[in-house]
Amino acid sequence: MDALAELKQTFFQECEELLGALEQRLQALDEGSTDPEDVNAAFRAIHSIKGGAGAFGCTELVAFAHVFEASLDHLRSGRVAIEDAPFTLFLRCSDAVADLVSAARNDEPARPRPDLLEALEQVGKAPGSAPAAAPAPAAPAAPVAPAAAPITAPANDAPLGVAALGNLLAMVEAKTTGQAPAAATDGWDDEPAAPAKAGREVTLRINPESDLFRRVIEPRVVLAALPAEDIVSIVCDMSQVPSLETLDVADCHMRFVVTMRTELSVEEIYSRFDFTLAAEEFEIEVAAEEAPAPAPVAARHAAPAAPAAPAAPEVPAGVAADLSAILAKLGPAPSAAPEPDIKPAAPAPVAVSAPAAVEAAPAPRAAPRPPANDASAARQRQAVSVRVDLDRIDKLMNLVGEIVITQSMLVECVRSLPYDVYAKTAEGILTLSRQTRELQDHVMAVRAQPVKAVFQRMPRLVRELAQTLGKEVRLVLEGENTEVDKTIIEELADPLTHMIRNSMDHGVETPDERAAAGKPTEGTIKLVAEHRAGRIVISVTDDGRGINRERLLAKARSRGLVGADERLAPEEIDQLIFAAGLSTAEVISDVSGRGVGMDVVRRNVESLGGRISVDSEPGRGCKFTLALPLTLAVLEGMVIRCGDDRYVIPISSVIETQHLASTPIEHLTFGQEVLRWRGEVTPLYRLGSVMGSTGNPNENIIIIAETERGDNVGIAVDEIVGQQQVVVKSLEANYGTVNGASAATILGDGLVALILDIDSMLRLAATGNRQPAIELKLAG
Amino acid sequence: MTLQLGEKHFSSAQPESAVRRIVTFRVGDRTFGIDVGMVREIKGWQATTPLPHSAPHVRGVLNLRGVILAVYDLRTSIGLGTTEASATHVIVVVDVDDKTAGLLVDSVSDIVDVPVSAVRPAPDLERDEHGLIEGLVLLDTDIVALLDLAAVIRDGGVEQQVAKAARPN
Repeated sequence: MDALAELKQTFFQECEELLGALEQRLQALDEGSTDPEDVNAAFRAIHSIKGGAGAFGCTELVAFAHVFEASLDHLRSGRVAIEDAPFTLFLRCSDAVADLVSAARNDEPARPRPDLLEALEQVGKAPGSAPAAAPAPAAPAAPVAPAAAPITAPANDAPLGVAALGNLLAMVEAKTTGQAPAAATDGWDDEPAAPAKAGREVTLRINPESDLFRRVIEPRVVLAALPAEDIVSIVCDMSQVPSLETLDVADCHMRFVVTMRTELSVEEIYSRFDFTLAAEEFEIEVAAEEAPAPAPVAARHAAPAAPAAPAAPEVPAGVAADLSAILAKLGPAPSAAPEPDIKPAAPAPVAVSAPAAVEAAPAPRAAPRPPANDASAARQRQAVSVRVDLDRIDKLMNLVGEIVITQSMLVECVRSLPYDVYAKTAEGILTLSRQTRELQDHVMAVRAQPVKAVFQRMPRLVRELAQTLGKEVRLVLEGENTEVDKTIIEELADPLTHMIRNSMDHGVETPDERAAAGKPTEGTIKLVAEHRAGRIVISVTDDGRGINRERLLAKARSRGLVGADERLAPEEIDQLIFAAGLSTAEVISDVSGRGVGMDVVRRNVESLGGRISVDSEPGRGCKFTLALPLTLAVLEGMVIRCGDDRYVIPISSVIETQHLASTPIEHLTFGQEVLRWRGEVTPLYRLGSVMGSTGNPNENIIIIAETERGDNVGIAVDEIVGQQQVVVKSLEANYGTVNGASAATILGDGLVALILDIDSMLRLAATGNRQPAIELKLAG
Repeated sequence: MTLQLGEKHFSSAQPESAVRRIVTFRVGDRTFGIDVGMVREIKGWQATTPLPHSAPHVRGVLNLRGVILAVYDLRTSIGLGTTEASATHVIVVVDVDDKTAGLLVDSVSDIVDVPVSAVRPAPDLERDEHGLIEGLVLLDTDIVALLDLAAVIRDGGVEQQVAKAARPN
């Protein structure tokens, strides 16, 4: 992977985190939070996404994020009260941003969302004010003369470069002459600066570090943080700008002196630069109260940039060509991120894009500086967390698995030592085994991730489904910080999605139905994760109508899953929801109802060594509970022996064990043995013959195991050696699929043992030389 | 053109590009060879765990420092029966495609440099129906059959099905 692709990868990873943060904050605000920090954090998140997207040329994303950011800015600046803000719209927009990010990531065309854009643009508009023609300030920034086109034309929001300069000049000019461009969403939509304004005179000296552009901040953004009506003048000091030959367009050499009359306190002004400037980059001078208001000073450099004149006198039109040549030299220009509202007539895109190519590492810098009061906390957070490649952790995990195995090998060796040596060595070994166990726990903890990664996707699902289904649903998340191994995290998304869909579709009623039933019109779905008994337990609880048992039972009867005269307890009926091909939905919808939902969920969960169950109370709601092991890398296994070979059966499959002698065995005509177990006829398989064990198996222990379909089978083995945690090792990596086994492990003596997969074993037994096992009907 | 079966024959006068460095090993009275680059390591025999209903030449799997790999009995592959493995037998650990595998042989004999021009294509051997032999090298005292390792291992996959069907009960 080349460096740029790698950076891009990092950017998308960050995007995911940022999107999570964005959604979370918006959700909090939607639920009534009025904490400005929520607004700030949401703004920061979208701003960072926009910045990074610009650097990687994700045009649509930048455009959307820009408008979104602008409307959030209204909240931040207090132009729109938090209480009045349309957070539902914002949440839908955050979904749209997520779509755009994933489109950009997969290089797919993005779905344009003009509806959302339009709605966003209405945010912060005083009712009745004319709609702005374009959301970005760039398009109307035409006062800049076309002569300076190479510099000014691509005046967009790209983070770096000369374009920003031209853009800025236009802004400064507009501001100081009172012709606010129709840059509605960028904070310049206010009335022209009122000349006689109450308040103190404040002089701001803004001396940005030269890396300002690289921080994806441009002066326009800095200045937009100030209330436009308070600004008396802005003077741009370009004396530091070097000559064209030595100019690095990625550096910022501009300084500003802003004079304003304002009622804002110094602290408030400080806080307005939280996002953009470090504290040492600006100074605030408060003039004495009685100082006479100076006449508005026209910006020294901005003034010549009046509509009629060339934009930047320092750059005569004749030089423009040279400039493009220099910029062209700087490297091939990937297409930068002009915003769509910029007229395609913009002649020299090279001006913007070149800096992006020069600056090879914009993404990590994309994040705006955290607000000053958060800065130390943020720095601390950075210090304690590192991004580590999962591969490395996997290798570490493997190595720890080795150590665990070696250590159990040592334990066996030590047993054979003479007593006096043994006593001493055993002590050391004991310490070693405690330490390896601890080491293993810690490495497992490194791999552990909070379930938040999966939970975060659910609010969106619920929002979208609620819209599709016309239901009102509130999703409550609990225990998002519960940690499980990353292997499990990856496997959680599908079952959870299915379960939530099921609750949304079949569980929660429509508002009318709910009202009629005397419930609040808004339904609640609770998604809770917790650790219990070495497993992660996730439950999805809704307060809907519960499972319709009569209909479910009728359906099961009609499909022959339940005998016509069979009587089932209500709880047993509920469990039928996991049977294949059962769906009680009357209408097959997009959402669920094809009857392939819950049985798939059950199968997936069980293949992970987990279990799923349902509790339903008619009319009151339904609760699905999912219990999964904390990791797939280690499993609790029963080590058994058959002939000369040892095998591991996952404990989760074992129901009970018993002696063969105490169990009556019957032979059916086709050679299939069955045993009576708890009143059921259970097929019996001899492990030695199914797996072709070597040696002479005597098979006098029976293990009753459960298959994925919930049937029970008996498996005859020689001996139960013990129960232990085993490290799961792939057989596919260097060999291939082994029928009857899901994987292998290494036992204490260094030898390999197969981890049995009951279902695969039964298939193996069926396709061997014996007759296919017939479907054994449960005898009542 | 003469070729020595050099005891320490690492300094060949031949230009490097034209030389293949080959590890030779013996099964019974036959000598086989593979390119040295494919050999990851050579280790003494170690007990394997048999796999259910695998091809006859798949001896089973073993643990090589935490990696599980399959061991193939070369004697079985060439139709000479099963190796009675003992401590003197050797497992040649090889990299084939993207997999690591073990090859059970009697002993490893030498490393020889062979000019590429000395490698003759395998004659149309009727017995070699699986195409295990990629070429032949004539040394002073010996004929080295160069193995197509991918065929040795792939064969396991094909025969697995066959073996299962013909499995004696």
